[in-house]
Formats: sequence, structure tokens, C-alpha cells
Amino acid sequence: MAHRNEEEGSIGTSMHGVTAKEHVFSFSDQGEDAWSSHSVQSDDPTAKFALPVDSEHKAKVFKPFSFAKPHMRAFHLGWISFFTCFISTFAAAPLVPIIRDNLNLTKTDIGNAGVASVSGAIFSRLAMGAVCDLLGARYGTAFLLMLSAPAVFSMSFVADAGGYLSVRFMIGFCLATFVSCSYWTSVMFTGKIIGLVNGCAGGWGDMGGGVTQLLMPMVFHVIKVAGATPFTAWRIAFFVPGFLQVIMGILVLTLGQDLPDGNLSTLQKKGDVSKDKLTKVFWYALRNYRTYVLFILYGFSMGIEMTINNVISEYFFDRFQLKLHTAGMIAASFGMANFFARPIGGFASDMSARFFGMRGRLWTLWILQTSGGLFCVWLGRATSLPIAILAMMLFSFGVQAACGAIYGVVPFVSRRSLGIISGLTGAGGNFGSGVTQLAFFSSSRFHTADGLSLMGITSMIVTLLVAFIHFPQWGSMFLGPTSDGRKSKEEHYYAAEWTEEEKLKGLHEGSLKFAENSRSERGKKAAPDGTSTPLENENPADV
Amino acid sequence: MSIYKIILASFLICLVIQLSHGATKERLFSDLEKGALEVTAKPSRQGVLDAGIDKLSITWKLSSTAKKQANFTTIKVKLCYAPVSQVDRPWRKTENELFKDKTCPHKIITRAYNKSSQSFKYTLERDIPTGTYFVRAYAVDAKDHEVAFGQSTNEAKTTNVFSVQAISGRHKSLDIASICFSVFSVLALLVFFVNEKRKAKLEQSK
Repeated sequence: MAHRNEEEGSIGTSMHGVTAKEHVFSFSDQGEDAWSSHSVQSDDPTAKFALPVDSEHKAKVFKPFSFAKPHMRAFHLGWISFFTCFISTFAAAPLVPIIRDNLNLTKTDIGNAGVASVSGAIFSRLAMGAVCDLLGARYGTAFLLMLSAPAVFSMSFVADAGGYLSVRFMIGFCLATFVSCSYWTSVMFTGKIIGLVNGCAGGWGDMGGGVTQLLMPMVFHVIKVAGATPFTAWRIAFFVPGFLQVIMGILVLTLGQDLPDGNLSTLQKKGDVSKDKLTKVFWYALRNYRTYVLFILYGFSMGIEMTINNVISEYFFDRFQLKLHTAGMIAASFGMANFFARPIGGFASDMSARFFGMRGRLWTLWILQTSGGLFCVWLGRATSLPIAILAMMLFSFGVQAACGAIYGVVPFVSRRSLGIISGLTGAGGNFGSGVTQLAFFSSSRFHTADGLSLMGITSMIVTLLVAFIHFPQWGSMFLGPTSDGRKSKEEHYYAAEWTEEEKLKGLHEGSLKFAENSRSERGKKAAPDGTSTPLENENPADV
Repeated sequence: MSIYKIILASFLICLVIQLSHGATKERLFSDLEKGALEVTAKPSRQGVLDAGIDKLSITWKLSSTAKKQANFTTIKVKLCYAPVSQVDRPWRKTENELFKDKTCPHKIITRAYNKSSQSFKYTLERDIPTGTYFVRAYAVDAKDHEVAFGQSTNEAKTTNVFSVQAISGRHKSLDIASICFSVFSVLALLVFFVNEKRKAKLEQSK
């Protein structure tokens, strides 16, 4: 979310008035910004980037095998940080059979700890958007990683159910790396490919929930073989995710960069990036009804996914009398499907946008999430193991691709409050997970299998809310864009988040630039309309 | 594509496991001969026993009322959960189907069947969880199928049960290591943060 003021020399600019040329000059000046070692004295500010970029210096292509700074490096640091946090948050789940014996836990204790493990992140994800706006994505990520590492290490102190619950609660805060990661990619990559990029980052990060189901039992086993008793071995095993977090935190701070043009603190002090007011940013997020719809929707895609991460291993173990590591393997497959499922969801969103614009994105989302819910119902009904595994894999694909598709829509809901809305949607995921675990899996009122089916049905009903997401400039699932000539312009929608005084100061320039780039969301109709609108950009006061 | 192969492989493995279980599915606990063995389990001291330290003196012999002793090949002695330790813990549930039954997960000793009285001094293992227990001895035939059993408590599993306190699993060295790494993590973050703020200020003043 760049609040950069790149007025192309128009009058009434701020005292720090920056033209594109000045920008380059301060960069080739040897600041502490060691990242831009390109001392190219060219007039084209985009020449120093390894990837082709747009007017906001966001990358236009996505090259997953590249580590080029700043774009691809940010991508990899972001998703690996998120992956590490998923490993830590769900690290206890595969070890529960040992932990429950050590700490004398009951089913209620285990269920409550599961709810606690995802609840902390509701608040941290809410706050994370604002933190990233204020401190930049690097410090947002590093704070989470390095301040929750002590919580992971403190598993060695836990002696009873209360301690176990508290520690899982505190570890869970680090799931907010999801927000910092998608925030980071949203400032580094352009709108056309953001669905795919966020899908990959989110999906590969979410994979941590699956990898941990294999990793932790393996680490535990190795430590046991080395001579520790089980009740000590599981505590030592937790040092592994703790180390990973600290290492990733240091890597993020040393190798990463907040924005395509540099680090936030540097750019802010130079006056390139203006700090927006937190209250305003929050207000515009809360005023937008789409925020709430996305909050709920994500609760029933990501929320369900996290709930399954906590309950599926035990479910297969009990229902089908499997061995612990077999159940763990199956549980791991659920989480690992994220590797391709979520990116495919993001990609499908981008592809449908190319032909049908935003309407395509919304329909894709609805189809994926509803089919996820359907297969969840089937999973609960399945009485034979092969059918259950098949249902689970289809369910995992549907629900994880839906997560990718939702984040294909999120970047377009607001420009000014992107961080907050991204955080709120993410918080919705955790909220949904807490609610579904509490409602369907924490009491003996019904069997776990019935809980799964009920959760699937609830998900299908809730997903109908997608029909209510309407953009005046692009329409919705069933309605077309508004016929009002003024309101049907992207600039009107995004500029509406700024007051008249702010517009006079030219603070909304970033939004206008984004609006221009977002015209791709009209689908195939983008081409004929594109030519008439550029004139509006040059006169910021005239909106 | 290799992910698909892994999924397919686990499919097939699970199928095979399920099929092989089919043969044992029908054997029920209620079919076993009750009280065929007289089992006693005497704790080494009064009060709650400590896992890894305290011992149980276990004896078992053929009961006078036993009928199927001709089939007995091996005696499997196990540590079992009393009902109070099974409350709200479905992973310790007592089921009639023997292969599903999770009442007695902890093996104590396995010995060939001998008509005369047998005894064993068992030190409680360090992975025994906190709970209330009794001892049960299963008489197993040559096909490794249970045929009879005897236990140190009554049928309702209320008398002669003893309590065990598990080890905590905590160690001072672990605690110290945990604190050290936590402090390092927080300090490293602060150092980076302060450093960068300082450099940014220098940049501005230039």
C-alpha cells in the first residue's frame, strides 16, 4: 500500500514534492539502502528492477524460481515466514496423543486448546494491517516471528491443561504473518497477477499445517531414539519450530525490503511516503460492507481448513482404527494439497477476471467454496477409508482454492485501507475456525463425523453471501455495473475514500494510479473504455 | 504428479490394512472367560505412586474355576485404566470388540503359561500417564487370540485400584535453554529495530 506522491509535476504538490527524476537521484546516492546497488544513472526509474514493473513499480510478472530483489525476494521471505508460523501453530496437533498423557488432558481440554490456538490470531490479524502500514511489511513479519518464538520455546515449561492452552494461545498470534505476507506481495505485485501471487504465497504458507503433521512426529521420534523419554522428547521437539522462527526473522530483516523502492523508514524520512492516519484507514475499512462479507466468507474457507488441521488426524485415528503415523500421513495430505490448490484458486480467479472481470472472480469463488462444503458433507458421511480419503482430498482442493479466490477479490475492495481489510479478512478466517471448532467439535453432543457434515452444510449456506458483493464499476454475480456515468468509473470508487481536503493535497494520487491499473477488472470490455479515462488522472481536484 | 502417487499409495495401504483387520473384527471381550486367572497387584508403598520410581508386585495363577486352560499358551499382563481415568477421554474407551478396546494399552510382561503361581516386580515406566489403574492378565492361545483373562480388581473395576503420578517431563536444562533462546530472539529484534531507526535519522539529517 504505497502512499507515494508521484505527481507528475502538477501544481499544489507537497513541500517534499518528488518527481520521478528526483527519486532516482536520491537512490543512486549512497544511502544506507544497501539493496539498490544498481548505480545506474538512468532516467528510467524502472530500469533498475529485475522484473518488468508498472507505474507503481510493482512487478508485472511472477517468476517463482527467481530470488531477485525486491519483488521475488519479498515473495519468498513472505511465504516462508508464514509457512514457519503455520508449523509452529499446529505443531502440537500430531503430538497430542503424547501430550495428553503427559499433561493428563481431557477431550474438552484438547478441544479448548485447539480453539485457543486459532483465536489469538483474530486480534493479531486485525492489528497486522495497521502495523504493516505503520512499520512496513518487514518489521511486521519480524515482530511476529521473533516475539512469538519465546512462546514456542516455553512449551518446555507447560505442566497442565491451563499452561498448555495459554501457550497454544500465545503461539497462535503469529498466524498474523498471513496478513504481513499478503500485504507484502500486494505492494510488490500488480493487480493482474495478484490472485496467482497471493494464491501461491498463501497456499505454500498454509502447507505448513500439513508439513507439521509429518515433521513433528519425525523430530519427536529422532529425539526419543537419541535417548529422551517421550514426555521430555516432545518438549525438545518444539525447539525446532522455535529455531526456524528466529532464523526466518533474521533473514527477513537482513534480506528483505518493504517497498519496491526501498524500506519504509527510509522513504518516509525522505518524504517519499506519507504516513496515513490509522483512524481514517480503519474507518474506511469499517464503512465498506464488503469487508464484513469477506470476513464471514473467509471464516468458512480458511476457518474450516484450520479446524480440519486440528481435528482430522484424531478423526481418522478413531473412526478407522489407524495407527498414529498413518493418521498423521493422511492429515498431512490435507494440508499439503495447499501447494497447488490455493495457487490454482488464485490463478482461476485471475483467468476468469481476464474474460469476465470481477464477476468472473466472484463466480469462481462461489463455485469453489460451495463444492468444498459439499465434499465436507461427503467426508462426514463416508464409512469406508478409501472413500473418506477421496472425499477429504476433493474437500481440501475446494476449500483451499476458495481461499486463493477470495484473495483475488480482496485487493480491489479498497486501496486506502488495503492493509486493514486484508487483516480483517484474515481475522475472519481465525474467527471462523474458532466458531466451527466450538460449535461442531468440542462437545459430545454429536459424533465428529456428524460435526463434519454439519460444518459442510453451514459452509454452503454461508457462501451464498458472495452474491452480495457488488462493485458499482464492475457489477456483481447477478447484476451488471451501474449505468451512472460518473459512478461507473474506477476512479470514483477509489477516490471516494479520500475527503476533499485530502484530495486537494493530492494524497489520493496512489489510489488514482491504482484505479487506472484496475481497469483490467472489467474483463474483455476493458479495451474500448481504457482510452477515454486517462484524462481524468491529470486533474486531481476534479473528481 | 508425485503427490498423486503418494496419495494413491496410502489409499492402497489403508485398504490392505483394513482388509487384514477384517479377520479379527468379530472377537469380543464378552466372549472371554472371566476370572480364569487370579491376579494381584500390590504397590510398593501407600499413596500415589511415582512413575519411573515405584514398583508393583504382581502375581498371577490359574483360578480353580478356570475351564479353558488347555488352550493357554502365553500370559500377557497389562496395566489398565480404571473407569475414573476414562472419563472425557475417548482414546481410552472400553469397547467390546477386542481390536478396538483401548482399556489396557500398557504392556507389563509376557510369559509362557505355567500352572504354578507366577510373580513379577514391575517398575512403573516413565511414559505411564497420571491416572488410576488396575492390572489385567490375558491368557492367549497359540493363534495369539485372547481366550480368558483375570484382573486385580472386581468386575466394576472399583476395588483395589491404585493411582500413579506421571513424570513431568520437564528439566532444568531445558528451561534454561528455553529462556536463553527466547531472550536472544527478542534482543535480536530490538537491536535491528533500533539500528535501523538510527540509520534512518542519520539519512534525514544529511
